[in-house]
Amino acid sequence: MKHPGARRWFLVAAVLSLGLGWAQDRLDPYFVDILTRIGINVILAVSLNLINGHTGQFSLGHAGFMGVGAYTAAALTLFAGPKLLPAGAGFWVEQLWFLVALGAAGLVAALAGLLVGAPSLRLKGDYLAIVTLGFGQIIAVIFRNIESLGGALGLNGIPARTNLFWSFAAAALTVYVVTALVNSTYGRGFLATHDDEVAAEAMGMNTTRYKIVAFVTGAFFAGIAGGLSGHFTLTINPKGFDFNKSIEIVVMVIVGGMGRTVGVIIAAVLLTLLPEGLRMLSSASPSLKWIGETRPLLYAILLIALMMLRPQGLFTWKRKKGAVTA
Amino acid sequence: MSPILEFDKVTIRFGGLTAVSAVSLAVGPTELAGLIGPNGAGKTTVFNLTTGVYQPTEGRISFAGEPSAGLRPYELTRGGIARTFQNIRLFKSLSVVDNVRAAMQVHRTQGIWNSLWRGGAFLRDEQVVEKQALELLSIFRLDVVRDEMATSLSYGDQRRLEIVRALATKPKLLLLDEPAAGMNPTEKLELARLIREIRDRFQIAVLLVEHDMQLVMDLCERIHVLDHGTKIAEGTPVEVRRNPKVIEAYLGEEHALPE
Repeated sequence: MKHPGARRWFLVAAVLSLGLGWAQDRLDPYFVDILTRIGINVILAVSLNLINGHTGQFSLGHAGFMGVGAYTAAALTLFAGPKLLPAGAGFWVEQLWFLVALGAAGLVAALAGLLVGAPSLRLKGDYLAIVTLGFGQIIAVIFRNIESLGGALGLNGIPARTNLFWSFAAAALTVYVVTALVNSTYGRGFLATHDDEVAAEAMGMNTTRYKIVAFVTGAFFAGIAGGLSGHFTLTINPKGFDFNKSIEIVVMVIVGGMGRTVGVIIAAVLLTLLPEGLRMLSSASPSLKWIGETRPLLYAILLIALMMLRPQGLFTWKRKKGAVTA
Repeated sequence: MSPILEFDKVTIRFGGLTAVSAVSLAVGPTELAGLIGPNGAGKTTVFNLTTGVYQPTEGRISFAGEPSAGLRPYELTRGGIARTFQNIRLFKSLSVVDNVRAAMQVHRTQGIWNSLWRGGAFLRDEQVVEKQALELLSIFRLDVVRDEMATSLSYGDQRRLEIVRALATKPKLLLLDEPAAGMNPTEKLELARLIREIRDRFQIAVLLVEHDMQLVMDLCERIHVLDHGTKIAEGTPVEVRRNPKVIEAYLGEEHALPE
């Protein structure tokens, strides 16, 4: 992506998502449902890959930032919107307000990322994994104890704003921003930090700064994905953004191949489809019913097999012609 | 001429261990200087003190006439200190040319919005940096492997690439930590020629740690000798080889000159 062609691809993706938004009502709802979730998962996986893959910092708190975004956006459309917008506001005003809510979701999540990241990313080593693990737990406890945000029950009746357009446009934006950053002076900073922090500092790189940029950018898009997710499922609660959700996203990055954006996108798509496929298979005939019952087990076995047979990720290819990976 | 690097009675202790004790030394602006001594004498610690990885417990370090206390490694690199490592530390997920470009951005980075918008100025700047990186690589005849991954190069080429990467930060002082380690005699001769050429071409100071005495004695104009964290001698190669303390602590009879 050294050439301006990258922006052209982004335009193509934006037009495509407009088309999909238009086609939304003409497609099978089940199909639309899966496509929307694919878009959201692509955002989550690609943004986490910037932190865990390209920059080599292990974050276990991506779902926490997603939660921050989900609650921020829901509060804006559910509570602030009706007060601020004129009664009986039309479709476009609603959509515009949703855009504002998504932007705010990203910014608040990014701010949370800065607060968590700035102290822990100054250190070399695996401190980030511990700190983000703690952050995930803390954020869930905080949401559970804020009564105005529904406490443990969460928020219900969130307006249905997320459609194929928003989901895919946001995914296109995420992929574009991450790819553009990785193919710039920042990208070389991220990769150098990932490879060897001591050498990167010796070459004049402020590695702390690169780590924070990657972490905050990742948190920003996790927040947007949270906003989209809340306005898609229409109900959110603290449990939805716990450690299990974070692990789900980490798995997408690992299966796709750390630091390989294309691989991670494919992994996000396949891992969204896999449970659906298994469900279909098990309901196809009574003799296959066991697949549905053992689904979590199959999933775990698949992952273990992957780690043993192809630890670098499923969808990784040689990066450059003639290059030998050591 | 005032020295580019100056140690004034520098001491560093790690708990009860004094790794470097009251060491004073000076390196001239275009000097080829050597730092020798037995294993564990504190040579790499001197490098780490110079580059800001460690801060001295006592004493003062000045670079280009300014005290360097409290500056982080990347700030000192911006000021003009570059180094290579004893064990090669190239960026393994970057290509040869990108290793050099990464080091070049110490003086040339793009803002985040420019990187996202990728307008004309951004692309032109990237091209300029790439061109400069290739020019530098071609001096060391590494431009033919520009797109290979850094770790796929031969051992000798990786060592040379590390020097090129250090030079890409436009240093005033280049620190080489055992540059000849693992090289065969032909490669060592080539390396000596290369280091001299670097000094002449870029007009910078070079301080090297090396165990190959032939190389050190041929190349260095001034040699500092460390033993057990203290400096036991300093002088021209001939003076050092005549010094009985150095012969006893490190050189042995093989490289000694009669008094």
